[in-house]
Amino acid sequence: MTSAPRRTARLTYGLAGVGCALVLAEALPRMGIVDPRHLPPTSRIAAALAAELGRSGFWLAVADTVAAWAQGLAIAVVAGVACGVVIATVPGLRAVTASTIEFLRPIPSVALIPLAILLLGTDIRSTLLLVVYASFWQVLVQVVAGIHDIDPVAADTARAFRLSAPQRIWHLALPTALPYVLTGVRLAASVALVLAVTAELVIGAPGLGQEISVAMTAGAVPRMYALIAVAGVLGVAVNLAARGTEHRLLRWHPSVREEATA
Amino acid sequence: MTAARLSVHDLAKTYDTGTRQVHAIDKLNFTVEAGELLCVVGPSGCGKTTLLRSIAGLLRPTSGRLEVDGQPVDGTPPGTAVVFQEYGRSLFPWMRVADNIALVLRDNGIRSAERRERVREALDQVGLADTARAYPWQLSGGMQQRVAIARALAYRPRLLLMDEPFAAVDAQTRADLEDLVYRLWRDLGVTIVFITHDIDEAVYLGQRVLVLSAEPARVREEIAIDLPAERDQLATRADPRFIELRTQIQQHIRDSGR
Amino acid sequence: MTLRTVLWRLVTWFGLPVVLVAAWWFGSEGSRSFYWPPLTEILRTFTQLWTPERWAADVLPSLGRLAAGYAAAALLGVGIGVAIGLWWRLRAIAEPVLEFFRAIPPPVLVPVIMLFAGIGDGMKIAVIVSGCVWPILLNTVAGVRAIDPIQRDTCAVFATRPLTRLRRLVLPAAAPHIVTGMRQALSIGIILMVISEMFAAHSGLGFAIVQFQRGFEIPEMWSGIILLGLIGVALSGAFALAERRVLAWYHGMRRAEGSR
Repeated sequence: MTSAPRRTARLTYGLAGVGCALVLAEALPRMGIVDPRHLPPTSRIAAALAAELGRSGFWLAVADTVAAWAQGLAIAVVAGVACGVVIATVPGLRAVTASTIEFLRPIPSVALIPLAILLLGTDIRSTLLLVVYASFWQVLVQVVAGIHDIDPVAADTARAFRLSAPQRIWHLALPTALPYVLTGVRLAASVALVLAVTAELVIGAPGLGQEISVAMTAGAVPRMYALIAVAGVLGVAVNLAARGTEHRLLRWHPSVREEATA
Repeated sequence: MTAARLSVHDLAKTYDTGTRQVHAIDKLNFTVEAGELLCVVGPSGCGKTTLLRSIAGLLRPTSGRLEVDGQPVDGTPPGTAVVFQEYGRSLFPWMRVADNIALVLRDNGIRSAERRERVREALDQVGLADTARAYPWQLSGGMQQRVAIARALAYRPRLLLMDEPFAAVDAQTRADLEDLVYRLWRDLGVTIVFITHDIDEAVYLGQRVLVLSAEPARVREEIAIDLPAERDQLATRADPRFIELRTQIQQHIRDSGR
Repeated sequence: MTLRTVLWRLVTWFGLPVVLVAAWWFGSEGSRSFYWPPLTEILRTFTQLWTPERWAADVLPSLGRLAAGYAAAALLGVGIGVAIGLWWRLRAIAEPVLEFFRAIPPPVLVPVIMLFAGIGDGMKIAVIVSGCVWPILLNTVAGVRAIDPIQRDTCAVFATRPLTRLRRLVLPAAAPHIVTGMRQALSIGIILMVISEMFAAHSGLGFAIVQFQRGFEIPEMWSGIILLGLIGVALSGAFALAERRVLAWYHGMRRAEGSR
């Protein structure tokens, strides 16, 4: 257990670290140590960010990115859970599909970019293709591992006591599989954002990534940095939200909660 | 008169758990002569482990001082070896048994040929001559603890600290390990401070037994064990004097507050 | 191992892939579609296109850059990760800043890196490093922090020197975590290798695929995609083999614990 003095010390150090970084980012370009055309001073980036925040086009782009992320993640989670449940429960299916999954999984989603451009053009559907492809595997692998982890003795007991299917799911499948599924969703959420912004950047689908690409071609460097910072903030928000949901959901189911404290 | 191997003067340790202050040890005083086997017992949670960790230099005492061979010590006294209770965790699983033992000899200017010799000798002494190439997790609990003891012996320590080393093994293994420690002590003359919660073990092994009070720990009683030097698990434990001594100690522990 | 088990293993391992490839083969047999040429044509293009010269011109430079970036990311990630893991003050200072930078999707940094490093090999390697370093660094920190205190106490009591501690305690103890990070970094590295070439390049696998797509050379594009997939799988397999050797002690220990 960390003592109160240790916690306040950590907070102070953390703030000092952030402060130092900001000061360096402001001072180095101004002093000419770093070329200000490559890295503008933080104040100029902040000004560009303020300008962006007042522009409706910016908010539309952010909305596009978030929409693509959310839709892609939802599709990947539903498909991943469904396929994962089927693969894990149908006897023998896991062994038969193992080699195919191991082959398809490492294929980089960027390999699909040319295909996406040709088939789906430069709208949100291209983004979704990339997002869903990359996130699906994260969820699938975790779901299969989670269901596989169910204690066979407990499963037999549930069957012996003639528990109905919903009861078996609630008391047996859910507590064991839930942590795995939530890990998969957390990983998938992170990957989904990366792919969404990547698709927008490279393909030109509408969203934050495309705005960055536009800023780059226009040579608007402070604006570009400001938009990248926004992407970072989105990433942090997604990480925090995912971890928070995981925490909340794992504490809510009673038997999981008991296991956690045991 | 030569100085005692270890002198503990007015040792005190208080620490902060974040919710409250714990006075683990308060003004502890005792000495250990060279070549002596001293056992320390006390009620559960009375600070025995805190005491051992303070002597080993793993904790800074709040006040008081330690002297080894008359020299004041700050931190770990040079030439100190420790055998921890959790044998499974104190050996490194990525190294074979022989490498685990050789590790502690590395930084002391001991050449590799001599290192190998010491490792072989130490494993012989604990009866594990043919496990040198095995990994710790391939061995049973009792064997792992023997390896930990061998590691301490190879170090040729001036002071050997043992923190409830046999609390986590089964009774039969514990009896074998007790006899092993006693035999090694007799043959090699190592100075040992042996912490245990098992009163029978303390009386069986020790030349002297220190009884600690409940938290904050102080030396409540010092009892000399005047049993014959030849110890045997069955005979010694049936000896009337043994029973007398252990009852005495148990009484002290019970009186010192639970 | 009986003949029956061997046959069973072969069936389960190759069964579904063979079925899928056969379905693709026959399904696309007489295809006239522009975007979905017959598999036979793709395979023919594959053998014609990816000659040893093409390999030397495109594939090897890409892989070389990947190797350089991956190695640099490993050194940086492990080095900084060990330091942060060992010193809580350093961790407290660096953590908020690192949490922000690692949340930036790596491809988005490509324009920034292009500003600093131009469009040569240096840029591409920097892009790979910028993405690969994070999983390695974060997992190293987790691994170092998870080192058993008893093991640390052992080193403290027996007076081991800091360098010995680093070599024989810190790095091996954190190795399982570090390897996990390096596995994640490998997938990210392949993605960034391709993306960095899609932006500005004269050679490379990603560059070639984009050229094919822009020139509407569809079978060539497909062959490139398949090659990329094969490379991904091959690197993954090589990594798994290396891991099994490096972490042999770890897997042995887990098996021993599991059976207790």
